[in-house]
Amino acid sequence: MTRTEDVTTLSAKTRPAVIATRKSCDAEGTGLSHYVLMDRLVKR
Amino acid sequence: MPASWTDLFGGRLPDGLERFDIGHADYCALIDADTAFWALVRHDEIGRVVADGSLEAEWRAKAGDFAREMEMLRFHLKPSAVYFNPTERCNLDCSYCYIPQDMRRAGEHMSRERLHDAMVRLEEYFARTVPEGRRPQIIFHGAEPMLNRDAMFTAIDDFGDRFRFGVQTNATLLDDEAIAFLTRRGCGIGLSLDAPLPEVADRSRKRWNGDGVFRSTVEAIERLRGYAGFNVICTMNRENLGHLVPMVEFLHAREVPACMLNVVRCTQPGGRAAWADDEAVSAAYLAALDRSHELFMQSGRKLVVANFANILISILAPTARRLMCDISPCGGGRSFFALAPDGSLFPCSEFIGLPAFAGGNLFTDRIEDVLNSPAFRQVTGRKVEDIAACAACPVRHFCGSPCPAEAHEANGGMDRIGAYCGFYLEQARYAFRLIADGIADDYLWDGWDEGAETTFAFGC
Repeated sequence: MTRTEDVTTLSAKTRPAVIATRKSCDAEGTGLSHYVLMDRLVKR
Repeated sequence: MPASWTDLFGGRLPDGLERFDIGHADYCALIDADTAFWALVRHDEIGRVVADGSLEAEWRAKAGDFAREMEMLRFHLKPSAVYFNPTERCNLDCSYCYIPQDMRRAGEHMSRERLHDAMVRLEEYFARTVPEGRRPQIIFHGAEPMLNRDAMFTAIDDFGDRFRFGVQTNATLLDDEAIAFLTRRGCGIGLSLDAPLPEVADRSRKRWNGDGVFRSTVEAIERLRGYAGFNVICTMNRENLGHLVPMVEFLHAREVPACMLNVVRCTQPGGRAAWADDEAVSAAYLAALDRSHELFMQSGRKLVVANFANILISILAPTARRLMCDISPCGGGRSFFALAPDGSLFPCSEFIGLPAFAGGNLFTDRIEDVLNSPAFRQVTGRKVEDIAACAACPVRHFCGSPCPAEAHEANGGMDRIGAYCGFYLEQARYAFRLIADGIADDYLWDGWDEGAETTFAFGC
């Protein structure tokens, strides 16, 4: 089974009727296009 | 309440939210595209939820905040990163490269003194724009930056306390000494590999004499094992789509912490020749994402597909995104810009082969003036509201209609879509399915939401 189409893993009735979340932060990390910023993972 | 609520597929509901089919058995999405607001609602509950009105009321109460957040993200960022090309030359002749062949074959190097001067000028600029305590990013890019290694490494040592550095390299020149230098200084290292088999990878990434570089890239991946700051870019093209699942397995087995599965951009003729259609790209890509999750479930270790992670984050926390292709206007010329070895400044590396998009020169012009040049404004002014196919699309702020260089060169103008509209739509639908299934975090870096606060939570 894949998640690429029409997958359900739980009984529908046990799931919340609505899922709606949003998080916000300072956009300081926004940066590049075709380079992965790994700076948060590198300990200096 | 209209009798047809539960039968609606697409279209704008009277409450202002637009219904969007995410291909999930239990949920559909309600979206306000302008504010990038979304809610997933169970199919069998949608009539009740809409009639109840409390979701709508909470959304409306926050809509102004969300609109301001998107306005800031889309129009008020200042550059914090530079693609720095220290040489035009490359020792490879990859079939889809966006830098013209004559430039890569016989172009110029930036001298050590010139490179130092460029860094001084960039430091002066960022001192005016980046808040104290934050370090802007310099990504040495190419062409092949390691061909100008000495000048590049000197700059990393001279400016390492004021900038963060990264290098995107084909790995052919990444010897033990270079790896030790870069890893000891915490530099990011990006490698490129298109398939787990030499007979496939070497079709697209090869030297001028036609020899592939699969072996040297894999050796570098092995030597970097355990280093948290490296990643691999796989450029999806018509040659390797059938190998993306084994590619994910290959990278995961070698403990690569992150990769990108990027579509080949159709800006240059070589890219257009490698193009594959949305359906084929989507099927291969989503299967690879599925596989990355299976591997995480089996091993407890993630291989983050960073470009997909960014789409997911653009939905969960728009301001926490780390990449700026999938937002409109894109980040080119506003959150980053590109520097060519002759000092020319472009909105993005993707434009370096297009002289009309040079907005000025680092050594003769003020960067602020370059950012406001007509050449840059063509890119920074391109927004989904002005693109007919995007203006009514519910996922327009999770996609951003990339890429302007591609739209301009391959499709005829900045008001056109890029080459992979359907692919981005499928990524958004897949991302929503993960959220519906409660497994979105499995696809993201641990701690991705550090510093973010929850500003909306309904039904959770």
